Amino acid sequence: MSKSPTRLLVVDDEEDLELLIRQRFRRDIRQGEIDFVFAHNGKDALEKLAEHPEIRLVLSDINMPVMDGLTLLSQLEEIRPEIRAVIVSAYGDMENIRTAMNRGAFDFVTKPIDFKDLEITIRKTLRHIEIMRNALESRDRLVAITRELEVATQVQMSILPRDHASSETHEIQAMMIPAREIGGDFYNFFSLDDAMVGLVIADVSGKGIPAALFTMVTQTLLKGAVRNFASPARCLSEVNEMLAEDNETCVFVTVFYGILDLRDGTFRYCNGGHNPPRLVRGDSRVVALPTTGNVVLGVFPGHDYVDGEVRLTPGDALFLYTDGITEAQNARNEEFGEERLDEKLASLKQATARDVVGEVVDAVHHFAEDTPQSDDITCIALRFNAMLSV
Amino acid sequence: MADESTLSIQTERVEKAVIVSPLGRVDGSNAAVLESAIQEQIDAGEKVLVFDFKDLNYISSAGLRVFLMTARRLQGEGGKALFFGFSDPIAHIFEISGFSAILSIYDSRSDALVAL
Repeated sequence: MSKSPTRLLVVDDEEDLELLIRQRFRRDIRQGEIDFVFAHNGKDALEKLAEHPEIRLVLSDINMPVMDGLTLLSQLEEIRPEIRAVIVSAYGDMENIRTAMNRGAFDFVTKPIDFKDLEITIRKTLRHIEIMRNALESRDRLVAITRELEVATQVQMSILPRDHASSETHEIQAMMIPAREIGGDFYNFFSLDDAMVGLVIADVSGKGIPAALFTMVTQTLLKGAVRNFASPARCLSEVNEMLAEDNETCVFVTVFYGILDLRDGTFRYCNGGHNPPRLVRGDSRVVALPTTGNVVLGVFPGHDYVDGEVRLTPGDALFLYTDGITEAQNARNEEFGEERLDEKLASLKQATARDVVGEVVDAVHHFAEDTPQSDDITCIALRFNAMLSV
Repeated sequence: MADESTLSIQTERVEKAVIVSPLGRVDGSNAAVLESAIQEQIDAGEKVLVFDFKDLNYISSAGLRVFLMTARRLQGEGGKALFFGFSDPIAHIFEISGFSAILSIYDSRSDALVAL
Protein backbone atom coordinates (compact mmCIF):
# COMPACT_ATOMS: atom_id res chain seq x y z
CA MET A 1 0.00 0.00 0.00
CA SER A 2 1.45 3.38 -0.93
CA LYS A 3 0.88 6.21 1.48
CA SER A 4 0.94 9.80 0.43
CA PRO A 5 4.28 11.58 0.92
CA THR A 6 4.91 13.74 3.96
CA ARG A 7 4.67 17.31 2.72
CA LEU A 8 7.02 20.02 4.01
CA LEU A 9 6.94 23.74 3.40
CA VAL A 10 10.23 25.53 2.80
CA VAL A 11 10.15 29.33 3.12
CA ASP A 12 13.18 31.25 1.80
CA ASP A 13 13.69 34.21 -0.50
CA GLU A 14 16.75 32.63 -2.09
CA GLU A 15 15.44 30.96 -5.23
CA ASP A 16 18.33 28.51 -5.59
CA LEU A 17 17.56 26.84 -2.22
CA GLU A 18 14.65 25.07 -3.93
CA LEU A 19 17.05 23.43 -6.42
CA LEU A 20 19.50 22.45 -3.71
CA ILE A 21 16.84 20.86 -1.56
CA ARG A 22 15.22 19.01 -4.46
CA GLN A 23 18.68 17.76 -5.42
CA ARG A 24 19.59 16.66 -1.91
CA PHE A 25 16.29 14.91 -1.17
CA ARG A 26 15.74 13.58 -4.71
CA ARG A 27 15.67 9.99 -3.57
CA ASP A 28 13.03 10.61 -0.88
CA ILE A 29 11.01 12.62 -3.39
CA ARG A 30 11.28 9.90 -6.06
CA GLN A 31 10.26 7.21 -3.58
CA GLY A 32 7.26 9.26 -2.56
CA GLU A 33 8.46 9.63 1.00
CA ILE A 34 8.77 13.39 1.13
CA ASP A 35 7.36 16.18 -0.96
CA PHE A 36 8.30 19.87 -0.75
CA VAL A 37 6.26 23.00 -1.26
CA PHE A 38 8.18 26.26 -1.57
CA ALA A 39 7.29 29.81 -0.58
CA HIS A 40 9.41 32.95 -0.77
CA ASN A 41 8.19 34.98 2.17
CA GLY A 42 5.93 34.71 5.20
CA LYS A 43 2.78 35.90 3.43
CA ASP A 44 3.39 33.50 0.56
CA ALA A 45 3.94 30.75 3.17
CA LEU A 46 0.55 31.36 4.83
CA GLU A 47 -1.14 31.12 1.43
CA LYS A 48 0.64 27.85 0.65
CA LEU A 49 -0.36 26.47 4.03
CA ALA A 50 -3.98 27.34 3.30
CA GLU A 51 -3.68 25.32 0.07
CA HIS A 52 -2.01 22.40 1.86
CA PRO A 53 -3.63 21.97 5.26
CA GLU A 54 -1.87 18.61 5.69
CA ILE A 55 1.55 20.28 6.16
CA ARG A 56 2.91 19.87 9.67
CA LEU A 57 6.55 20.94 9.20
CA VAL A 58 7.80 24.34 8.05
CA LEU A 59 11.43 25.24 7.39
CA SER A 60 11.77 28.98 7.41
CA ASP A 61 14.39 31.64 6.83
CA ILE A 62 14.21 34.70 9.11
CA ASN A 63 15.11 37.66 6.91
CA MET A 64 12.65 37.86 4.02
CA PRO A 65 10.73 40.65 2.27
CA VAL A 66 6.96 41.28 2.77
CA MET A 67 6.68 39.13 5.92
CA ASP A 68 9.73 37.92 7.78
CA GLY A 69 10.21 34.57 9.49
CA LEU A 70 9.63 35.82 13.03
CA THR A 71 6.26 37.31 12.09
CA LEU A 72 5.37 34.10 10.29
CA LEU A 73 6.22 32.16 13.47
CA SER A 74 3.93 34.32 15.57
CA GLN A 75 1.13 33.84 13.07
CA LEU A 76 1.62 30.08 12.93
CA GLU A 77 1.50 29.86 16.69
CA GLU A 78 -1.96 31.36 16.57
CA ILE A 79 -3.56 29.80 13.53
CA ARG A 80 -1.76 26.46 13.15
CA PRO A 81 -0.36 25.49 16.56
CA GLU A 82 0.07 21.87 15.42
CA ILE A 83 2.78 22.96 12.94
CA ARG A 84 6.41 22.58 14.01
CA ALA A 85 8.82 25.15 12.55
CA VAL A 86 12.53 24.76 11.99
CA ILE A 87 14.35 28.07 11.56
CA VAL A 88 17.11 28.43 8.97
CA SER A 89 19.34 31.43 9.56
CA ALA A 90 22.91 32.71 9.38
CA TYR A 91 25.25 31.45 12.08
CA GLY A 92 25.91 35.03 13.20
CA ASP A 93 22.21 35.72 13.62
CA MET A 94 21.96 34.13 17.06
CA GLU A 95 19.79 36.90 18.49
CA ASN A 96 17.04 36.30 15.93
CA ILE A 97 17.41 32.57 16.35
CA ARG A 98 16.87 32.95 20.10
CA THR A 99 13.80 35.11 19.45
CA ALA A 100 12.49 32.47 17.05
CA MET A 101 13.02 29.71 19.60
CA ASN A 102 11.24 31.80 22.22
CA ARG A 103 8.33 32.21 19.83
CA GLY A 104 7.94 28.49 19.65
CA ALA A 105 10.27 27.32 16.86
CA PHE A 106 11.00 23.63 17.33
CA ASP A 107 14.66 23.71 16.24
CA PHE A 108 17.06 25.62 14.02
CA VAL A 109 19.80 25.01 11.46
CA THR A 110 22.41 27.53 10.41
CA LYS A 111 23.39 28.87 7.02
CA PRO A 112 25.35 28.02 4.99
CA ILE A 113 23.20 24.91 5.21
CA ASP A 114 24.90 21.69 6.20
CA PHE A 115 22.54 19.34 4.38
CA LYS A 116 23.49 16.35 6.47
CA ASP A 117 22.45 18.28 9.58
CA LEU A 118 19.30 19.56 7.85
CA GLU A 119 18.30 16.00 6.97
CA ILE A 120 18.78 14.82 10.55
CA THR A 121 16.83 17.79 11.87
CA ILE A 122 13.96 17.17 9.46
CA ARG A 123 13.75 13.48 10.35
CA LYS A 124 13.92 14.23 14.06
CA THR A 125 11.15 16.83 13.75
CA LEU A 126 8.97 14.52 11.65
CA ARG A 127 9.34 11.81 14.29
CA HIS A 128 8.32 14.29 16.95
CA ILE A 129 5.27 15.32 14.91
CA GLU A 130 4.32 11.67 14.49
CA ILE A 131 4.52 11.07 18.23
CA MET A 132 2.46 14.18 18.90
CA ARG A 133 -0.14 13.08 16.38
CA ASN A 134 -0.38 9.63 18.00
CA ALA A 135 -0.67 11.16 21.45
CA LEU A 136 -3.47 13.43 20.25
CA GLU A 137 -5.28 10.54 18.60
CA SER A 138 -5.00 8.50 21.81
CA ARG A 139 -6.34 11.42 23.76
CA ASP A 140 -9.26 11.80 21.37
CA ARG A 141 -10.02 8.10 21.61
CA LEU A 142 -9.87 8.35 25.38
CA VAL A 143 -12.26 11.27 25.36
CA ALA A 144 -14.63 9.26 23.17
CA ILE A 145 -14.43 6.25 25.48
CA THR A 146 -15.03 8.43 28.50
CA ARG A 147 -18.16 9.82 26.86
CA GLU A 148 -19.37 6.32 26.12
CA LEU A 149 -18.71 5.38 29.73
CA GLU A 150 -20.87 8.28 30.84
CA VAL A 151 -23.67 6.95 28.68
CA ALA A 152 -23.10 3.44 30.09
CA THR A 153 -23.34 4.86 33.60
CA GLN A 154 -26.68 6.42 32.77
CA VAL A 155 -27.95 3.20 31.21
CA GLN A 156 -26.82 1.21 34.21
CA MET A 157 -28.35 3.58 36.74
CA SER A 158 -31.57 3.77 34.72
CA ILE A 159 -32.26 0.05 34.97
CA LEU A 160 -31.99 0.09 38.76
CA PRO A 161 -35.32 0.56 40.46
CA ARG A 162 -36.05 3.80 42.26
CA ASP A 163 -34.20 3.93 45.56
CA HIS A 164 -37.11 4.33 47.95
CA ALA A 165 -40.54 2.80 48.57
CA SER A 166 -42.82 2.84 51.55
CA SER A 167 -46.25 1.68 52.59
CA GLU A 168 -48.04 1.02 55.86
CA THR A 169 -46.40 -2.36 56.14
CA HIS A 170 -42.82 -1.59 55.22
CA GLU A 171 -40.27 0.90 53.97
CA ILE A 172 -37.30 0.23 51.66
CA GLN A 173 -34.30 2.41 50.97
CA ALA A 174 -31.40 1.53 48.65
CA MET A 175 -28.19 3.25 47.69
CA MET A 176 -25.43 2.46 45.22
CA ILE A 177 -22.18 4.40 44.89
CA PRO A 178 -19.97 2.93 42.13
CA ALA A 179 -16.22 3.26 42.66
CA ARG A 180 -15.68 3.87 38.96
CA GLU A 181 -17.84 5.17 36.14
CA ILE A 182 -19.69 1.91 35.95
CA GLY A 183 -20.11 -0.62 38.68
CA GLY A 184 -20.23 -4.33 39.26
CA ASP A 185 -22.88 -4.20 42.00
CA PHE A 186 -26.62 -4.07 41.64
CA TYR A 187 -29.73 -4.18 43.75
CA ASN A 188 -33.39 -4.59 43.07
CA PHE A 189 -36.62 -4.64 45.02
CA PHE A 190 -40.11 -5.31 43.77
CA SER A 191 -43.57 -6.44 44.73
CA LEU A 192 -44.27 -9.97 43.54
CA ASP A 193 -47.92 -9.60 44.52
CA ASP A 194 -49.85 -7.67 47.15
CA ALA A 195 -48.23 -9.59 50.00
CA MET A 196 -44.75 -10.47 48.75
CA VAL A 197 -41.76 -8.17 48.48
CA GLY A 198 -38.54 -9.32 46.77
CA LEU A 199 -35.11 -7.96 47.68
CA VAL A 200 -31.97 -8.57 45.62
CA ILE A 201 -28.37 -7.55 46.09
CA ALA A 202 -25.44 -8.73 44.01
CA ASP A 203 -21.77 -8.16 43.35
CA VAL A 204 -19.86 -9.26 40.24
CA SER A 205 -16.19 -10.25 40.59
CA GLY A 206 -13.75 -7.68 39.31
CA LYS A 207 -14.54 -4.15 38.23
CA GLY A 208 -14.94 -1.95 35.21
CA ILE A 209 -16.57 -2.76 31.91
CA PRO A 210 -16.31 -6.59 31.99
CA ALA A 211 -17.94 -6.64 35.42
CA ALA A 212 -20.60 -4.17 34.29
CA LEU A 213 -21.53 -6.30 31.28
CA PHE A 214 -21.87 -9.38 33.46
CA THR A 215 -23.96 -7.31 35.87
CA MET A 216 -26.41 -6.36 33.14
CA VAL A 217 -26.79 -9.97 32.03
CA THR A 218 -27.37 -11.20 35.59
CA GLN A 219 -29.85 -8.45 36.30
CA THR A 220 -31.87 -9.30 33.20
CA LEU A 221 -31.84 -13.06 33.84
CA LEU A 222 -32.88 -12.55 37.43
CA LYS A 223 -35.72 -10.21 36.49
CA GLY A 224 -37.11 -13.00 34.34
CA ALA A 225 -36.53 -15.72 36.92
CA VAL A 226 -38.28 -13.99 39.82
CA ARG A 227 -41.49 -13.94 37.82
CA ASN A 228 -41.29 -17.66 37.08
CA PHE A 229 -40.34 -19.24 40.40
CA ALA A 230 -41.67 -18.69 43.89
CA SER A 231 -38.54 -20.05 45.56
CA PRO A 232 -35.43 -17.86 45.73
CA ALA A 233 -33.27 -20.98 45.47
CA ARG A 234 -35.04 -22.00 42.25
CA CYS A 235 -34.42 -18.55 40.82
CA LEU A 236 -30.73 -18.62 41.65
CA SER A 237 -30.39 -22.16 40.27
CA GLU A 238 -31.92 -21.04 36.98
CA VAL A 239 -29.74 -17.95 36.70
CA ASN A 240 -26.67 -19.96 37.70
CA GLU A 241 -27.23 -22.50 34.94
CA MET A 242 -27.50 -19.80 32.31
CA LEU A 243 -24.51 -17.80 33.54
CA ALA A 244 -22.32 -20.88 33.91
CA GLU A 245 -22.81 -21.94 30.32
CA ASP A 246 -19.50 -21.35 28.49
CA ASN A 247 -18.17 -19.07 31.20
CA GLU A 248 -14.52 -19.91 30.66
CA THR A 249 -13.15 -16.78 32.26
CA CYS A 250 -14.87 -17.72 35.52
CA VAL A 251 -16.34 -14.29 36.13
CA PHE A 252 -18.85 -14.87 38.91
CA VAL A 253 -21.52 -13.01 40.77
CA THR A 254 -22.57 -13.24 44.42
CA VAL A 255 -26.34 -12.91 44.71
CA PHE A 256 -28.64 -12.69 47.68
CA TYR A 257 -32.35 -12.92 46.93
CA GLY A 258 -35.05 -12.92 49.59
CA ILE A 259 -38.84 -12.70 49.62
CA LEU A 260 -40.69 -11.18 52.56
CA ASP A 261 -44.24 -12.31 53.15
CA LEU A 262 -45.90 -9.23 54.61
CA ARG A 263 -48.80 -11.29 56.02
CA ASP A 264 -46.74 -13.17 58.57
CA GLY A 265 -43.18 -11.82 58.38
CA THR A 266 -41.70 -14.96 56.84
CA PHE A 267 -38.51 -14.11 54.99
CA ARG A 268 -37.43 -16.83 52.59
CA TYR A 269 -34.07 -16.34 51.03
CA CYS A 270 -31.18 -17.92 49.21
CA ASN A 271 -27.60 -16.72 49.53
CA GLY A 272 -25.34 -17.44 46.54
CA GLY A 273 -21.96 -16.62 48.05
CA HIS A 274 -22.89 -13.11 49.14
CA ASN A 275 -22.05 -11.34 52.40
CA PRO A 276 -24.77 -12.41 54.84
CA PRO A 277 -27.36 -9.64 55.25
CA ARG A 278 -28.14 -8.47 58.75
CA LEU A 279 -31.40 -8.83 60.61
CA VAL A 280 -31.73 -6.00 63.11
CA ARG A 281 -34.23 -7.02 65.76
CA GLY A 282 -36.47 -4.49 67.44
CA ASP A 283 -34.51 -5.03 70.67
CA SER A 284 -31.34 -4.00 68.75
CA ARG A 285 -29.84 -7.49 68.46
CA VAL A 286 -28.05 -7.74 65.11
CA VAL A 287 -27.79 -11.19 63.54
CA ALA A 288 -26.21 -12.28 60.31
CA LEU A 289 -28.66 -14.36 58.30
CA PRO A 290 -27.28 -17.89 58.30
CA THR A 291 -25.82 -18.75 54.92
CA THR A 292 -27.59 -21.35 52.86
CA GLY A 293 -24.28 -23.06 52.13
CA ASN A 294 -24.40 -21.95 48.55
CA VAL A 295 -21.70 -20.85 46.19
CA VAL A 296 -21.43 -17.81 43.94
CA LEU A 297 -23.35 -17.89 40.64
CA GLY A 298 -21.85 -18.45 37.21
CA VAL A 299 -19.12 -21.01 37.74
CA PHE A 300 -20.59 -24.25 39.10
CA PRO A 301 -23.29 -25.57 36.83
CA GLY A 302 -25.62 -28.00 38.57
CA HIS A 303 -25.00 -26.52 42.01
CA ASP A 304 -27.96 -27.13 44.28
CA TYR A 305 -29.20 -23.86 45.75
CA VAL A 306 -31.38 -24.14 48.85
CA ASP A 307 -33.65 -21.75 50.69
CA GLY A 308 -33.23 -20.48 54.21
CA GLU A 309 -35.97 -18.89 56.28
CA VAL A 310 -36.35 -16.49 59.19
CA ARG A 311 -39.38 -14.86 60.73
CA LEU A 312 -39.50 -11.09 61.06
CA THR A 313 -41.71 -9.30 63.52
CA PRO A 314 -42.85 -5.71 63.10
CA GLY A 315 -40.07 -3.40 64.23
CA ASP A 316 -37.34 -5.58 62.71
CA ALA A 317 -35.17 -4.39 59.86
CA LEU A 318 -33.11 -6.10 57.19
CA PHE A 319 -29.86 -4.70 55.91
CA LEU A 320 -28.32 -6.06 52.69
CA TYR A 321 -24.91 -4.82 51.63
CA THR A 322 -21.91 -5.49 49.39
CA ASP A 323 -18.31 -5.78 50.53
CA GLY A 324 -17.64 -2.19 49.45
CA ILE A 325 -19.05 -1.36 52.90
CA THR A 326 -17.13 -3.83 55.08
CA GLU A 327 -13.91 -3.64 53.07
CA ALA A 328 -13.79 0.16 52.89
CA GLN A 329 -10.31 1.11 54.06
CA ASN A 330 -8.89 4.06 55.90
CA ALA A 331 -5.41 5.54 55.54
CA ARG A 332 -4.01 2.96 57.99
CA ASN A 333 -5.23 0.11 55.75
CA GLU A 334 -7.81 -0.90 58.32
CA GLU A 335 -11.15 -2.18 57.09
CA PHE A 336 -14.52 -0.86 58.22
CA GLY A 337 -15.37 -4.48 58.97
CA GLU A 338 -18.43 -6.37 60.11
CA GLU A 339 -18.05 -5.41 63.76
CA ARG A 340 -18.33 -1.69 63.08
CA LEU A 341 -21.23 -2.38 60.75
CA ASP A 342 -23.07 -4.40 63.39
CA GLU A 343 -22.44 -1.78 66.07
CA LYS A 344 -23.76 0.92 63.80
CA LEU A 345 -26.83 -1.12 62.90
CA ALA A 346 -27.51 -1.86 66.58
CA SER A 347 -27.58 1.87 67.26
CA LEU A 348 -30.16 2.36 64.51
CA LYS A 349 -32.88 0.00 65.72
CA GLN A 350 -35.60 2.66 65.67
CA ALA A 351 -34.46 4.44 62.53
CA THR A 352 -36.32 4.51 59.23
CA ALA A 353 -34.84 2.52 56.34
CA ARG A 354 -33.82 5.82 54.78
CA ASP A 355 -31.90 6.79 57.90
CA VAL A 356 -30.31 3.35 58.29
CA VAL A 357 -28.84 3.55 54.78
CA GLY A 358 -27.82 7.18 55.18
CA GLU A 359 -26.19 6.64 58.56
CA VAL A 360 -24.29 3.50 57.57
CA VAL A 361 -22.92 5.08 54.40
CA ASP A 362 -21.99 8.21 56.37
CA ALA A 363 -20.19 6.03 58.92
CA VAL A 364 -18.24 4.31 56.15
CA HIS A 365 -17.25 7.64 54.60
CA HIS A 366 -16.31 9.04 57.96
CA PHE A 367 -14.19 5.97 58.67
CA ALA A 368 -12.42 6.03 55.28
CA GLU A 369 -11.86 9.80 55.48
CA ASP A 370 -9.83 10.77 52.41
CA THR A 371 -8.92 7.24 51.32
CA PRO A 372 -10.38 6.83 47.82
CA GLN A 373 -13.23 4.35 47.52
CA SER A 374 -11.88 1.25 45.79
CA ASP A 375 -15.02 -0.85 45.49
CA ASP A 376 -18.68 -0.22 44.73
CA ILE A 377 -20.73 0.53 47.82
CA THR A 378 -24.28 -0.78 47.69
CA CYS A 379 -26.87 -1.42 50.37
CA ILE A 380 -30.59 -1.82 50.92
CA ALA A 381 -32.49 -1.50 54.16
CA LEU A 382 -36.01 -2.77 54.71
CA ARG A 383 -37.93 -1.80 57.79
CA PHE A 384 -40.87 -4.04 58.58
CA ASN A 385 -43.49 -1.79 60.16
CA ALA A 386 -46.60 -3.88 60.36
CA MET A 387 -48.10 -7.14 59.19
CA LEU A 388 -50.40 -6.92 56.22
CA SER A 389 -53.93 -7.59 57.45
CA VAL A 390 -55.79 -10.05 55.29
CA MET B 1 8.62 -10.72 55.11
CA ALA B 2 5.78 -9.95 52.73
CA ASP B 3 4.88 -6.37 52.00
CA GLU B 4 1.24 -6.07 53.06
CA SER B 5 0.18 -3.84 50.23
CA THR B 6 1.67 -5.64 47.22
CA LEU B 7 1.83 -9.14 45.83
CA SER B 8 4.81 -11.37 45.32
CA ILE B 9 4.68 -14.99 44.30
CA GLN B 10 6.99 -17.79 45.37
CA THR B 11 7.04 -21.25 43.91
CA GLU B 12 8.60 -24.39 45.27
CA ARG B 13 8.94 -27.71 43.53
CA VAL B 14 8.12 -30.72 45.68
CA GLU B 15 7.95 -34.34 44.69
CA LYS B 16 4.55 -34.51 43.03
CA ALA B 17 3.51 -30.90 42.81
CA VAL B 18 4.48 -27.25 42.74
CA ILE B 19 3.67 -25.17 45.80
CA VAL B 20 2.65 -21.63 44.85
CA SER B 21 2.68 -19.04 47.64
CA PRO B 22 1.05 -15.65 47.01
CA LEU B 23 2.49 -13.18 49.54
CA GLY B 24 0.69 -9.96 50.36
CA ARG B 25 -2.61 -9.10 48.73
CA VAL B 26 -4.38 -10.18 45.57
CA ASP B 27 -6.80 -7.66 44.12
CA GLY B 28 -7.95 -6.29 40.80
CA SER B 29 -4.69 -4.45 40.28
CA ASN B 30 -2.51 -7.56 40.35
CA ALA B 31 -4.82 -10.51 39.69
CA ALA B 32 -3.49 -10.66 36.13
CA VAL B 33 0.08 -11.08 37.42
CA LEU B 34 -1.01 -14.00 39.56
CA GLU B 35 -2.97 -15.46 36.68
CA SER B 36 0.02 -15.47 34.35
CA ALA B 37 2.34 -16.87 37.04
CA ILE B 38 -0.07 -19.77 37.49
CA GLN B 39 -0.54 -20.16 33.76
CA GLU B 40 3.23 -20.50 33.39
CA GLN B 41 3.15 -23.53 35.70
CA ILE B 42 0.24 -25.09 33.84
CA ASP B 43 1.90 -24.43 30.49
CA ALA B 44 5.04 -26.11 31.81
CA GLY B 45 2.96 -29.24 32.25
CA GLU B 46 2.23 -29.08 35.98
CA LYS B 47 -0.96 -30.95 36.80
CA VAL B 48 -1.03 -30.45 40.56
CA LEU B 49 -0.67 -27.05 42.19
CA VAL B 50 -0.74 -26.55 45.92
CA PHE B 51 -1.50 -23.04 47.09
CA ASP B 52 -0.01 -21.85 50.34
CA PHE B 53 -2.11 -18.96 51.70
CA LYS B 54 -0.09 -18.54 54.90
CA ASP B 55 1.18 -15.10 53.87
CA LEU B 56 -1.87 -14.00 51.93
CA ASN B 57 -3.30 -10.95 53.71
CA TYR B 58 -6.18 -10.03 51.49
CA ILE B 59 -8.02 -11.39 48.49
CA SER B 60 -10.64 -9.57 46.45
CA SER B 61 -13.22 -11.15 44.17
CA ALA B 62 -10.86 -10.62 41.24
CA GLY B 63 -8.34 -12.80 43.07
CA LEU B 64 -10.92 -15.45 43.92
CA ARG B 65 -11.74 -15.68 40.24
CA VAL B 66 -8.13 -16.58 39.41
CA PHE B 67 -8.02 -19.48 41.90
CA LEU B 68 -11.39 -20.68 40.76
CA MET B 69 -10.31 -20.66 37.15
CA THR B 70 -7.11 -22.48 38.07
CA ALA B 71 -8.97 -25.20 39.96
CA ARG B 72 -11.33 -25.70 37.05
CA ARG B 73 -8.59 -25.71 34.44
CA LEU B 74 -6.48 -28.24 36.32
CA GLN B 75 -9.51 -30.42 36.89
CA GLY B 76 -10.25 -30.32 33.18
CA GLU B 77 -6.75 -31.63 32.51
CA GLY B 78 -7.01 -34.42 35.02
CA GLY B 79 -5.03 -32.56 37.66
CA LYS B 80 -6.07 -30.64 40.75
CA ALA B 81 -5.56 -27.59 42.92
CA LEU B 82 -5.15 -27.83 46.69
CA PHE B 83 -5.13 -25.04 49.23
CA PHE B 84 -3.84 -24.63 52.77
CA GLY B 85 -2.70 -22.06 55.32
CA PHE B 86 -5.89 -19.95 55.53
CA SER B 87 -5.89 -17.13 58.08
CA ASP B 88 -9.26 -16.35 59.66
CA PRO B 89 -10.13 -13.38 57.41
CA ILE B 90 -9.24 -15.35 54.27
CA ALA B 91 -11.14 -18.40 55.51
CA HIS B 92 -14.13 -16.11 56.13
CA ILE B 93 -14.08 -14.88 52.54
CA PHE B 94 -13.91 -18.44 51.19
CA GLU B 95 -16.70 -19.44 53.57
CA ILE B 96 -19.05 -16.62 52.53
CA SER B 97 -18.47 -17.12 48.81
CA GLY B 98 -19.19 -20.82 49.20
CA PHE B 99 -15.80 -21.80 47.76
CA SER B 100 -14.70 -23.62 50.89
CA ALA B 101 -17.33 -26.26 50.18
CA ILE B 102 -16.12 -26.69 46.62
CA LEU B 103 -12.33 -26.31 46.66
CA SER B 104 -9.95 -28.78 48.30
CA ILE B 105 -8.80 -26.91 51.40
CA TYR B 106 -6.50 -28.40 54.04
CA ASP B 107 -5.37 -27.27 57.47
CA SER B 108 -1.65 -27.59 56.92
CA ARG B 109 1.00 -28.12 54.32
CA SER B 110 1.55 -31.70 55.43
CA ASP B 111 -2.18 -32.47 55.23
CA ALA B 112 -2.26 -31.07 51.72
CA LEU B 113 0.80 -33.00 50.61
CA VAL B 114 -0.53 -36.24 52.08
CA ALA B 115 -3.73 -35.71 50.11
CA LEU B 116 -1.86 -35.64 46.79
